[in-house]
Amino acid sequence: MGRSDTLVFGCGPLGQEVAEQLIGRKVPVYMYSSALDRVAEVLAKGFDAAVLDYTDDDKLRQAGIGEWVKVIFCLFPEEAKNVFLTLSARALDPDLKIICVSESPQSGQKLFAAGASKVIDPYEISGRKVHELIARPMIVDMLEHTVFGKHLDIAEIEIPLDSCLSGNPLSALDLGGRYNVVLMGVVDVEMSDSLIFSTSGVDHKLDAGDMLVVIGPAVEITRLKGDLEEDRTDQLLGG
Amino acid sequence: MDNTHRLIQTSYKLKDSVRYRRAKIFFYDLLENPKARIRPYFDVFMILLVVSSVWVLIYDVRHDMGIFDDLFEWVAVTIFIIEYLLRFWIYNDSHKVILSHYERAEFINQPFRAWPAMREVVAKKWEYVTQPLAIIDLLAIIPTYRPLRFLRIFLLFRLFKLFRYTRSISEFVKVLNEKRIELFTLFIFMAFITFTAATALFFFETDVVDGKGVGSFFESIYWALVTMSTVGYGDITPHTTEGRVVTIILIIAGLGVISFFTSIIVSAFGEKMHEIRAQRVFSEVERKHIDLIVCGYGRVGQVVADQLALDQRQFVLVDPLESNVRLAKQKGYLAVQGDAADSALLESLGIATQAKRLLCLTGDDVANVYITLSARQMNPEIEIISRANHRENVTKLRLAGADHTVAPYEIVGLIAAEYVGQPVAFEAIYGMLTGQNDVGIEAVRVRSGSVLDGRCMADVGFRQRKLIPFGVVREGGCPIDGSSGTYEIEGRCFHFNPTPDFELQAGDLVVMFGHEYSVVHFRDCLERGTL
Repeated sequence: MGRSDTLVFGCGPLGQEVAEQLIGRKVPVYMYSSALDRVAEVLAKGFDAAVLDYTDDDKLRQAGIGEWVKVIFCLFPEEAKNVFLTLSARALDPDLKIICVSESPQSGQKLFAAGASKVIDPYEISGRKVHELIARPMIVDMLEHTVFGKHLDIAEIEIPLDSCLSGNPLSALDLGGRYNVVLMGVVDVEMSDSLIFSTSGVDHKLDAGDMLVVIGPAVEITRLKGDLEEDRTDQLLGG
Repeated sequence: MDNTHRLIQTSYKLKDSVRYRRAKIFFYDLLENPKARIRPYFDVFMILLVVSSVWVLIYDVRHDMGIFDDLFEWVAVTIFIIEYLLRFWIYNDSHKVILSHYERAEFINQPFRAWPAMREVVAKKWEYVTQPLAIIDLLAIIPTYRPLRFLRIFLLFRLFKLFRYTRSISEFVKVLNEKRIELFTLFIFMAFITFTAATALFFFETDVVDGKGVGSFFESIYWALVTMSTVGYGDITPHTTEGRVVTIILIIAGLGVISFFTSIIVSAFGEKMHEIRAQRVFSEVERKHIDLIVCGYGRVGQVVADQLALDQRQFVLVDPLESNVRLAKQKGYLAVQGDAADSALLESLGIATQAKRLLCLTGDDVANVYITLSARQMNPEIEIISRANHRENVTKLRLAGADHTVAPYEIVGLIAAEYVGQPVAFEAIYGMLTGQNDVGIEAVRVRSGSVLDGRCMADVGFRQRKLIPFGVVREGGCPIDGSSGTYEIEGRCFHFNPTPDFELQAGDLVVMFGHEYSVVHFRDCLERGTL
């Protein structure tokens, strides 16, 4: 068994899709399933996979849950299996990130109750996307080609300790002018996990540890990150 | 010989005449074509005429209406005759029959003989005359002929003319027609029982004195039917024991006949019901000009339908599962139960005529490809959005003619992958894109002559309005000077994060992030022309 810190449970089409996307972003994944033929199928496609009885806590511990594993995906097609796995994993590791798929809003609630950190409803999202395609085709097209395509990236950038940005209000930042990026907002990790949009009425005072959320071409994002790390006041805030 | 020649000449002349053809098409639209716009008006007019002529007939029984009665009758009958003759005329093209005979004769180098051709012409027209509806039409006209005045009761046949003009009555006849074998069996059985019982009763009861018995065989048939149908007037009653035994048997048999008859009718309508309901939906789709067809009311279909309903958009759902259709109807959506792969169904929903968009959202990729392909063939213009459950089917759907594909698993993969890397950013943006947050992404079109036309980005004042400009989509290709931040999108150019001196043009689409109130306020300002 590999010591990868991201595990995907369920080797169906959904599991394969997620694993592929993760590998594409250079995140090593290990796949598990209780069905032998499924495992054989994904092994043949070149993924790392193994058979695992997810009902046995010892086996889960051996796979690394509660030890080195940080994220698991519960992608079994059966709702009950996902709930069971979520419960077992949460019991083993209270800090584990558990991401599940659900088929309906009701089962989403059950998964949250079982301890899932995030529940994704593929049908809800697809339905909304179809609707967007009808209601606002231009915007969808634009986003498909930029944000969800190759051109633009979304990034979270942490403000380092003792940065020149600390103490400045959010509105004083003119990142859009200095870098070719759009500043969406900031997350104050100490306060909460939610995003404070740069257009919201609150003028947030930046402070070390805050996350800036920006959209832009990869080059510009790298440049911004570099300047932040080196704390180049002239570049970030101007003269 | 000369007559034969003239016949052929006339036939060719008719074939070439545009006016003749136009007239014929006009009357076809008026009388027969179910899709013609003019037809409903004609139908309503004829229904009124029929009903009023029958009303005059009823009123005339007790009242004297003098000249008006005759005048009205005369007008109505004239219209009926004209209608009958027109239908007779448009039933088929006689000149085509003659010409096909003539051309065949020419082809095999035989002399053309008029008689066989004429015989076929007459046979074709006779075919029309013997149609049930044509016979009813004729019966509605004949009674007016004075010497046949006793046929006046046949004027009631005019009411049967209504079959022609109303859909629900003809639907009823169609239902009965489909059960004609069962009904025929029942009729034979009933006739047998009636005849046997009537004979037996006649045999036993005719000798009874006091003048209370059955007078004639007709009376005993009448009694048998009254008894069997459980109506039982009681004007004729059996007095002998034998006669009463016959009655007992007849009553029991009668119960059977009645229940059999009822069950035939009920089951016929039961089978026909969903067809009739579908027919209702089709006509509603046509009347309301619904141009959005959603195939599949599964989980994705339900989300889409709810969203569309929120937008107050009209759409029609197609799903093969009865439970799904019931669910859709409970929510008040227009839905047909059926397989969208059936091209006749799509046709009835106006795919080739009024439909502008088709959504294939079934959980089965094979069905989605098939629906996409057949819809694309029926309508090259229609916009098709299809769901691809497996990634490898995206290309197949594109080949089949889908304009857009949505792959649920791929989206999950994308979200999952981004979530691992930067959870908050992605969640915030995804929520924004899917409209789950108050802050959303919006696009505003720059109209020519509006305040935005020709203005620099810096002067628009996005910041004061609490809006973040994201980019501008401009028609036409991108400038080739390689300036950073421009991306080609299907013939349009997307300028990401435009510089403050970027000048807006008419036709540009400004994409921005912001709270919905801000966007509404911004649009409002644009409408009023003040910034």
